[in-house]
Amino acid sequence: MAAPAGSSASGALHVVVISPEETIFEGDAEAVVAPAWDGEVGILLGHAPMMAVLGSGNVRVTRGGVVERFHVEGGFLQVVDNVVTVLSERAETAA
Amino acid sequence: MSRAREIKGRIRGVQNTRKITRTMEMVATSKLKRAQDRLGSARPYSQRLREVIGRLLNPELAARYALLRQPEATRRVAILLVTSNRGLAGAFNANLTRAARTLMSELRANGVETELHVVGRKGISSFRFLGEPIASDRADIGDRPTAEEADSLVDPLMERFIAAELDGVYVIHARFISALSTPPNTTRVLPIEPPSQEEAPRAIDYILEPSADAILEKILPLYVRNSVYTALLENAAAEQGARRTAMKSATDNAGDMLQTLTRTYNRARQAAITQEIAEIVGGAAALE
Repeated sequence: MAAPAGSSASGALHVVVISPEETIFEGDAEAVVAPAWDGEVGILLGHAPMMAVLGSGNVRVTRGGVVERFHVEGGFLQVVDNVVTVLSERAETAA
Repeated sequence: MSRAREIKGRIRGVQNTRKITRTMEMVATSKLKRAQDRLGSARPYSQRLREVIGRLLNPELAARYALLRQPEATRRVAILLVTSNRGLAGAFNANLTRAARTLMSELRANGVETELHVVGRKGISSFRFLGEPIASDRADIGDRPTAEEADSLVDPLMERFIAAELDGVYVIHARFISALSTPPNTTRVLPIEPPSQEEAPRAIDYILEPSADAILEKILPLYVRNSVYTALLENAAAEQGARRTAMKSATDNAGDMLQTLTRTYNRARQAAITQEIAEIVGGAAALE
């Protein structure tokens, strides 16, 4: 299933940000930057499957030139088939 | 006429009671709706967690993680009993308390020491009444439990499990099947029962940052906390469901009672009138 980049690039990245209480964000985006445990990771369309532990900081979701920020503390990030899942115990929309 | 007046008083009393139970029913219905929504919106998180753990966890390596450690001998376990702060919910709290007592006596019969942690005023007071020692109690968790509250409940237990002071942690809470059915449920949250492999098809070749081990180390505690959080949410929904059902039947019973009382009242009233007429007729006849 480790498809090379671009093979399933049918449209956009699907991004989901989830906290224990609720789904904070769900939608399509062009790019995601997340604070991984050892520095930021950027994810674009066609990224290989990945799982990463998150540190604390802002997840930035870019869509149509607009950047949306979500503050997370801990948790992890998963990328599979152009679906980016951010799971964090403390996640909220950042101002 | 005095008997009729007495019945009239009772009718008024039952009417007032019915007003109260009907209001409580409606309040519980709307709270239930919100509690169910919260339960629904918490689902994605636990689903993804389970998925990821299923994908990363190699059952043969399970023994390496402190939270999955299967103790050779169970000496001491903690029971976390979740009840509600308020009553008037039928047998809701009594069922939970009974489930806890059953589990405790089973464990004790096997020579296992138990300690009881109780959430909810109702559970606390019934174990106080039974004279059963309570290791810790929490009455501050309300209709809207938060993830932080769940963390604060389970984190100390998790630490003690890791330190091998505890060999297991059970959670007892009410399941929410429907408003009519809220049976107590006992789950063992520690050691973690790894999610079954069918639930999460593996065979995805992930890039792992930093490593599968390190990720699991981080995620497993989240999983334990989340199962307690879900238990609190489900219990909150079940409480409202049970209350709605209890109040509905109380309202219905009050209706039946009113009907009987009204009938008795009318009969008494008619009897009084008949008697009065008879007296007047009798009096008139005596004058002739």
